[in-house]
Amino acid sequence: MKFRIYGDWIITLCILMLTVFGLFFLYSASDGNTETVLKQLAFIILGFVLFFLVAQLDPENFRRLAYASLAASFLLMLITALFGPEINGAQRWIRIAGLSFQSSELFKISLPLTMATFLQFKKLPISMKDTFFCLFIIAISALTVVIQPDLGTSLLVALSGLFVLFLAGLSWSFIGVTCGLLIIASPFIWNNLLRPFQKERILTLFNPESDPFGSGWNIIQSRIAIGSGGISGKGYGEGSQTHFNFLPETETDFIFAVAAEEFGFIGVLIILSLFLILSLRTLYFALNARDRFCRLVVGGLLLTFLFNLLVNISMVIGLIPVVGMPLPFLSKGGSSMITLFILFGIIMSIGTHKTLMQR
Amino acid sequence: MQFEERQKERNSFSNRALVSFIIFTVLFLAVLGRIFYLQITTNETYLTAAESNRTYTVPVQSLRGKILDRNGNVLVGNKATFDLITIPAKIENLDAFLANITEFLSISDKDLETYKKLFNSKALYNRELVLLKDLTQAQIASFEVRSFRFPGAFVGKRYRRISEYPELFSHALGYTSRASAAIASLPGIPSRNWRDAEFVYASGLISGQLGLEKIYDDSLSGSYGKKIYEIDAKGRLYNLIKFEDGTPGEDLYTSLDLLAQQAAHEAIDGKRGAVVAIHLPTGSLNVLYSSPSFSINDFANGIDQQSFDAIIQDTNKPLFNRALKGRYPPASSIKPAIALYGLNANLTSWERTIEDPGFFILPEDGRVYRGWREGGHGSVDLTKAIVQSSNTYFFDLAYQSDINQLTTHLGNMGFGKSLCIDCFDEDSGLLPTPEWKYAQYNRGWFTGDTVNMGVGQGYILATPIQLAYYASLLANKGTARLPHFGSKPSPEITSIETSNFNWSKLHKALELVVEGPSGTARRLSELKPFKVAAKTGTAELVSLDSKEAYAEIRSDVLQRDHAIIIAFGPVPNPEYAVSVVIENGESGGLVAGPVAVEVLKKLIER
Repeated sequence: MKFRIYGDWIITLCILMLTVFGLFFLYSASDGNTETVLKQLAFIILGFVLFFLVAQLDPENFRRLAYASLAASFLLMLITALFGPEINGAQRWIRIAGLSFQSSELFKISLPLTMATFLQFKKLPISMKDTFFCLFIIAISALTVVIQPDLGTSLLVALSGLFVLFLAGLSWSFIGVTCGLLIIASPFIWNNLLRPFQKERILTLFNPESDPFGSGWNIIQSRIAIGSGGISGKGYGEGSQTHFNFLPETETDFIFAVAAEEFGFIGVLIILSLFLILSLRTLYFALNARDRFCRLVVGGLLLTFLFNLLVNISMVIGLIPVVGMPLPFLSKGGSSMITLFILFGIIMSIGTHKTLMQR
Repeated sequence: MQFEERQKERNSFSNRALVSFIIFTVLFLAVLGRIFYLQITTNETYLTAAESNRTYTVPVQSLRGKILDRNGNVLVGNKATFDLITIPAKIENLDAFLANITEFLSISDKDLETYKKLFNSKALYNRELVLLKDLTQAQIASFEVRSFRFPGAFVGKRYRRISEYPELFSHALGYTSRASAAIASLPGIPSRNWRDAEFVYASGLISGQLGLEKIYDDSLSGSYGKKIYEIDAKGRLYNLIKFEDGTPGEDLYTSLDLLAQQAAHEAIDGKRGAVVAIHLPTGSLNVLYSSPSFSINDFANGIDQQSFDAIIQDTNKPLFNRALKGRYPPASSIKPAIALYGLNANLTSWERTIEDPGFFILPEDGRVYRGWREGGHGSVDLTKAIVQSSNTYFFDLAYQSDINQLTTHLGNMGFGKSLCIDCFDEDSGLLPTPEWKYAQYNRGWFTGDTVNMGVGQGYILATPIQLAYYASLLANKGTARLPHFGSKPSPEITSIETSNFNWSKLHKALELVVEGPSGTARRLSELKPFKVAAKTGTAELVSLDSKEAYAEIRSDVLQRDHAIIIAFGPVPNPEYAVSVVIENGESGGLVAGPVAVEVLKKLIER
């Protein structure tokens, strides 16, 4: 039997460049804290190992593991709720053998896999019964994350399921009716479901100057950081907004502003180009996947990835309210980084395993 | 699944995936557009914002100018002193810190209490807090050897506004005191930055109060320098980027004369009163002294409540500036002015004589106005009336006068006006007119009021500086310069015109007041080596009919007459004019006179 390594140069190179840039930005954002950078490097190396290992698996494995992984996800959430330490009023972490990770991350893998597995043989358009079943699964998955509470992640989890459902052929009339209902219900949502701090974040977006030292601070300072970067930036390590602590969360959610301040519009273009190439390559894999399951998985993951990217950058440049959502491959963080590598491992696996006859 | 259906499914997927991807692409383009707008289109705005974010400008105080007298003696200056300064943010255990430091430095319980009270408010930022003020050499030494134990404390040089003559020039100079940051302004520095200002004075931000310190506050203060620091979002200062020096305050050279002022102080000897001396060629004020006085050093550098209360409650009112604000009846010192009015109005002449029986009877109602000498001065001409200060002569002259013309004449001589160019809060005295009296008392002007004005009594009130100006006007034969503290001549004002003959006769008469055998100030004659012209006055506070009645009220010091003298010298070519008022001093010639002579001696013999 012929031995073969399943891999794709374009995807690998894009991710490699993004993570290397990320390390540089992190070194600057952390004011030269080598410990932080080395820790992140360790996660990235581990991530690459997992990325390649996952890519070697035949997509058939993912299909088989789908339901089990969803069950595992719920189990992890239960363990977190029971034993997880409370940090800043939220229970999101599990500690095992000195390593802690964010348990909700697994949903980002298991939910799209489950949806794709469930929907792969359904006739078009998806029946109401199946639609509601899927929505039910998505809803309880997202809800378990929401109650931690973790709005950003739960949004991504919900969307990772919904995008698969959409790509699988959710009927347009259903989409239309749902959107209509949401618009009608929006005043109710505003008045009853949103918490005061969430409303404030939204209101601040439209007029950050109303409270420049309070809720408007992040938006204003981030805008100043990006705006003052100019065409070529202030130079590596020279960003005053970054280094004199005007920018919040420079190592995680706001690392894009660090890059924009120190490397300017040129830096922004390079980063966005890498994301564009990565996305185009993934789109190509989705369109040319060997079966419906693979298509749905790659397509769903791609849209979720794009959404994540869009939300983070829009938040940093002040177009949408502040939501806790890291920038893929660039923000500091272990669990999210590892999850991302596994997801792209799945994408690369699907993109490279084509030996079976197309179904 | 059928092949057809599979194809349909695949197309549906591709369509949806592509449409979604395109939607995302469009959204990303919008994001990119926004970034372009921020970084390219409005880059300038944000660069400025980032720069002002990053930097913090702190005002740096400049040293205040000195105030000097006309011979270059420093009247008030800056003295470097040393304070024990702490940085509360660096002190972890306050009680232990204080316990350790009081082992070798004695700090009063009251100071400790104040320090503890202020400690927490200052600990928030990197603010300094003074623990012990004005250290002695021994205290500095005993701290310095142990300073390694106190990283949160250091000995810092701080200036104090100090006068070597703390009570001598108080009313002329005024003093500095702690000012609120709201007063200070500096272009380009937001008002909130003043809380971090770097001060060279122990009292921090100071500004002039009263006197020359107030009037010339701007030039004395100089301009603030700027220190531009790099800061972080919490306002912590990182490092100094730029230091722009301020301009130190300009020294103020005044016309005051230390020795003459000292002479005034010594001669007045603690009595309540005031002395003003003017340099005739320039109008400069050489002496401006009000007694009793207070220490400007105390007021500038912190005075305890007890001492402050004592000054406030002192019945002698040391804070009251008698030289500029004291209102006194000019009494007989006004007689030369009345004489000039009478001569110009052809109401009298040097030849005209009247019989002085010691009193004047108002023809209208028979009311009696008395002179100071019982039995009167006999046959009196104008010269004798001035030299011996005959009241009857001037009652008679005033009786003939038109009150409106008379007040205009007196107004031209400075009465009822504030005159000084750069004095702080000068009173304008009171020059009564019939309109004023009607408004004030709802009563008409009586001829008797005019008669009283002829001897400087009644409603008319003058300040010592007005009397000095009036003396300078007489000395200069009708012209005078407005009083001021500068040494260059102030504008000359010609207010009284009369014949040279009248002037020389008047000067001769005023000279005889001192130098003549029967002058009211003849005892001054021997006190100096030059000749002086003067006019004395004794201002009655209570209107009385007889000497016996006065002897009765004399027992209350505050009801005794004020002693007044105006003088100029040396005659015949006078250089200086002086006025002296001694409250309840009784005799212009005997009590106020010697003060004027001592001052003139110091001024003329310099």
